Amino acid sequence: MSNHVRPAAATSPVLAVRGLTKRYPGVLALDGMDLEVRPREVVGLIGENGAGKSTLLKSLVGLAQPDSGSIVVRGEEVRLRGVAHAASVGIGMVFQEQSLVPNITVAENILLGAEGSGVRGGLFRWRRMAELAQVQLDKIGSTVSARARTDSLTFAQRQMVEVAKVLALEERTAHEPVVLLDEPTSVLEREEVETLFAQVRRLRERASVVFVSHRLDEVLEISDRVYVLRNGRVVAEVDPAEVDATDLHHLLIGRESTGSHYHDDAQQQPAADVRLSVRDLQTAGCTQASFEIRAGEVLGVAGVQGSGREELCRALFGAVPGARGEVLLDGKPLRLDSPRAAVLAGVGYVPSERRTEGVVSSMSVTENMSMAHVGTVCRGPVIDGRRERALVDTWVRRLGIRTPSGDTAIGTLSGGNQQKVVLARWMVSEQLRLLILDHPTRGLDVGAKSEVYELIRELAGSGCAVLLLSDTLEEALAMSHRVLVMKDGRITACLDAPRGGKPDPVAIMEAMV
Amino acid sequence: MTETAVETTGPRDDDGPAPGAGRRSRRDLALLFMPGAVLVLLLLALSTRNPDLLSPDSLLAIADSAAPLMVLAIGVTVVILCGGIDLSIAALAALSSVLFALWIPLFGAAAAVPVIAVAALAGAVQGLVHVKAKVNSFIVTLGGLALWSGIALVISGARTVPVTDVDAIRWAFTTVAGLPSAVLIALGAVVVLGAVLRLTPAGRWVRAVGHAEQAARLAGIPVGAVKVAAFTTSGACAGLAGVLLVARTFSGAPSLGATLLLPAVAAVVVGGTAITGGFGGIGRTVIGALIVIVLRVGLSLIGVDAGFESIIYGVLIIGAVAVTIDRTKLDVLK
Amino acid sequence: MAGDTAPHAPTRTLEPAPLAGAPAPGAGGGNGDAPAATSGRARATRSADVVQTRASLIALAVLVVVFAAISPQFRTAGNLQQIIDAAAVLAVLATGITFVLMLGAIDLSLPGVIGACAMTVSLLVANSRNTQDLGLLGIALTILLGAAFGLLSGVLSTRLRIPTFMTTLGMSAIGLGIATILFAGVRPVVLDESLGAWASHRIAGFTVMSLIAVAAVALGWAIQRWTRIGRYAAAIGGAEDIVLLSGVPVARYKTLAFGVAGAFYGLGAVMLTARLGSGVVEAGAGTDFAAITAAVIGGTLLSGGRGGVLQSMIGVLALTVLANGLILTGVSPYVQQAVQGVIVVLAVAVATWPVRRRLGVVK
Repeated sequence: MSNHVRPAAATSPVLAVRGLTKRYPGVLALDGMDLEVRPREVVGLIGENGAGKSTLLKSLVGLAQPDSGSIVVRGEEVRLRGVAHAASVGIGMVFQEQSLVPNITVAENILLGAEGSGVRGGLFRWRRMAELAQVQLDKIGSTVSARARTDSLTFAQRQMVEVAKVLALEERTAHEPVVLLDEPTSVLEREEVETLFAQVRRLRERASVVFVSHRLDEVLEISDRVYVLRNGRVVAEVDPAEVDATDLHHLLIGRESTGSHYHDDAQQQPAADVRLSVRDLQTAGCTQASFEIRAGEVLGVAGVQGSGREELCRALFGAVPGARGEVLLDGKPLRLDSPRAAVLAGVGYVPSERRTEGVVSSMSVTENMSMAHVGTVCRGPVIDGRRERALVDTWVRRLGIRTPSGDTAIGTLSGGNQQKVVLARWMVSEQLRLLILDHPTRGLDVGAKSEVYELIRELAGSGCAVLLLSDTLEEALAMSHRVLVMKDGRITACLDAPRGGKPDPVAIMEAMV
Repeated sequence: MTETAVETTGPRDDDGPAPGAGRRSRRDLALLFMPGAVLVLLLLALSTRNPDLLSPDSLLAIADSAAPLMVLAIGVTVVILCGGIDLSIAALAALSSVLFALWIPLFGAAAAVPVIAVAALAGAVQGLVHVKAKVNSFIVTLGGLALWSGIALVISGARTVPVTDVDAIRWAFTTVAGLPSAVLIALGAVVVLGAVLRLTPAGRWVRAVGHAEQAARLAGIPVGAVKVAAFTTSGACAGLAGVLLVARTFSGAPSLGATLLLPAVAAVVVGGTAITGGFGGIGRTVIGALIVIVLRVGLSLIGVDAGFESIIYGVLIIGAVAVTIDRTKLDVLK
Repeated sequence: MAGDTAPHAPTRTLEPAPLAGAPAPGAGGGNGDAPAATSGRARATRSADVVQTRASLIALAVLVVVFAAISPQFRTAGNLQQIIDAAAVLAVLATGITFVLMLGAIDLSLPGVIGACAMTVSLLVANSRNTQDLGLLGIALTILLGAAFGLLSGVLSTRLRIPTFMTTLGMSAIGLGIATILFAGVRPVVLDESLGAWASHRIAGFTVMSLIAVAAVALGWAIQRWTRIGRYAAAIGGAEDIVLLSGVPVARYKTLAFGVAGAFYGLGAVMLTARLGSGVVEAGAGTDFAAITAAVIGGTLLSGGRGGVLQSMIGVLALTVLANGLILTGVSPYVQQAVQGVIVVLAVAVATWPVRRRLGVVK
């Protein structure tokens, strides 16, 4: 496109969102969202988990249909029916989980569904396809070959191909496109992030960009304007030059520090005896891990994505094939070959993906709760219905699980209540010796989080050892007696975190990165 | 959700109910009564054509002829509940019929025991290959189909093996207290399997594996063992069905079971068990098997070409699957 | 999916800067680390691609060498002709089913579709049952009928959202029913000479049928390489959700792929009828199995996106050589059936073995 100046269009928004509202069962994801994107600018979007970023992006590419409000593209209100429709008005998204087909060429991916003159008379003209794709790749200065098979590229290269794919909208719609970048830096290395930013700046010459990231410094670095989202609304529009990360932090949270949130005063001294001893645990993504957990101790594991901490905890539960190492639970060897063996030895695991790995959503609360230790409610080989009901009633009351009845399908409960059922699944066993919690508060609201923290304290108080992988460093520090730090699949540090003497997060950061 | 919010922040980052959780109950309700209603309507419709159809004698005859199919179908139901499929059942039943006919001279009536054991073993092998090598169950059992029928052809010399010692199979085609013994045997299998699935943890394990295998695994359910057990059950049922077939035809034949695969699968899906796993049960399959048999009897009553029977099975399978399938579980359809 | 599904906390804490670009392949189906999982999968697929094609060729070579060593008859030029002629029908069927398998779907409808098409063609060309004599037109109509069956399978699968193995199992029953009705108790003997010549007439040592098969395979390869049906089929098998998001009418192209496959089954039915000399209801018995086996041995992954017409041909040759060699070494044809059953499972198992630990849930 030429660079001629369009006086009126230069200031009027290319994309405007007015009063956008979207309600999911039980959650108001968008609550009258208002924002606009002007030509050739980079707009940053930041917000806590659940602030409405994803729903907004989905609405902008037609993957979610707003209940009310409007999306206005270049002055015209549109009702987007899907990604292809959004593309036809010039809005394209680079998805967080990449959206390229692995087994076809780069050119095919860039032109997928819109081959134009690359296909004539129903037949592919490979040379023309490559030429058309190269035009798009040149726009961002990518050196990727249009004829390469997509799965032969690195992650960063594929991301560029995706950007090129969105840029192809320019020719199709005869407008400068709006490019939505959803968490584009989450798995990039630092140099790759620099390259991406260079390309985003280049992109600004010919398109509008919406940049979504949970890394505040990056958003501040790349954006011309930043919207802060909270609870489905825009709570602030800021100029990155005039704010710093601390200001944004306050805007994001909307509340002051979380003092009693973690029930700090309930942290008790662990017993002296070693519950779990791990020597040289070896698995894909995690090498030579050696550590101990005492009875009644909460051991936090800190690490960035790819540090191997997820692999470590899944391996201890026998959920990773091929894990090796000398693992003793109360002095007895723990088999690592199946979750079944771990459960029988007294280990429990609360997975991070609650919906697919935690609960069987169409089965009842009762069945989900007694799933792991159904033997405790059996008389011989037969399930004793009365005993089971009594047990479930007890735990429903004890944990304050809000459910109409034990027969309710667990999928109809809120996330917090589902999570409490999963916790109860392990707590029903008197033999529970070690509970592995993989992001136990992920996707929970503040109240539910607090309740889960209380349960973890209680559990540790009763002598159970807890291995905790937290969403946030703050959570890991507050909840744990000690914190293991992992980096590149190895344990790099182990810090004491007693009540009233929590270590400095900076120290942990240094060991993590 | 809102009710759990203690702080002032209101409804926030909770992930709410699973999509479709509310809708499913309505689908369940429809599936609860439909198969039974269809069976009753079918019987009533056919009785207008031939009033004798509802007489005890003819109903028992229908039940009698349904016995092998029913046994075959309840076995594969367990596999389908786990989310898999067993296409080898008919071939395995045919192999079992040949083995039974061949072994009667050696073991007499007791030959049924080793036959069922061999069939169970064959099922277990398929289950192990499926679980250990992670090969799709329909491919494993498609291979099994070729293998078992190949073996049946080889050991029978591709011929029908007649049973000369009728006394050895009399137990399977006599009547006890006015009821055909084959019906009682089939009912026995239904009751045993139904009780195991309903009263013991096994039933929940099977459904949990069918609904959400990964969640089941991480809850400590022995997923591999559950699947192997399901295939073993399916194999054992195919063996029993083979024995019952011999009692009906006084011979074992490698081709005997070939026509039973479609009706058996049809019985399962028409009964309302979802091919996607997790939903359904033995009782449903019993009704489904009766529907299939009544349909077959009805068609011959009306005098329809045998070709139409096959077409109806095809339509029935596609139609019933279309109604019962749990589409929330099919993110990408293969 | 309410609210944000992004699992990361907003506060600047645990994920300040990422480490190595693509972490270790998501062992055990970890916590939804999609990008890492994708790149892991992609890499496994690519290397497995090369390994698989090479393995298929090696398997074929081993079979040839072993049988050549055992049986002097196997080594003759006449036997080579025989193998090519014997492979003709399976080659056409495997070409067809490759399109379905590339989608990641499966097709069990061959016995029914072939049965119905075999009866149809034998009743449309000059035959002993009626006075039809449509000749080539009859053959063309039969191929169209096959395509119609395929399209119907495709439409039912995509519109009713039913797994394809169920739809096609039902279609097979429907096809067999139609074949039985057309059969009506009297076998129609084919009197059409040109069709009869497909099996008997030889050009340059090969039967007409073999040459037709070669042309059909070439056509199939061209469709796979240059048309939207072929390219989109591969893309759909690779990542269906993404293709859908790109605005490609996935349901239509899936249906068309089934249609192409059906047309090849129709042609296969014509060839089988020429070989058998009359219309046979069971002409297609076991062909679903043989075609899937051939494609799988050739390196087509049942999860879709990998393999192709030419790779399937390696499988066809391997299977045919195996059958031919077993006959020459005096093994019963029934044993062959059993052996094939083991082979298909083995082939799939071998193909998935290197990645089996990464496979989460297999149904």
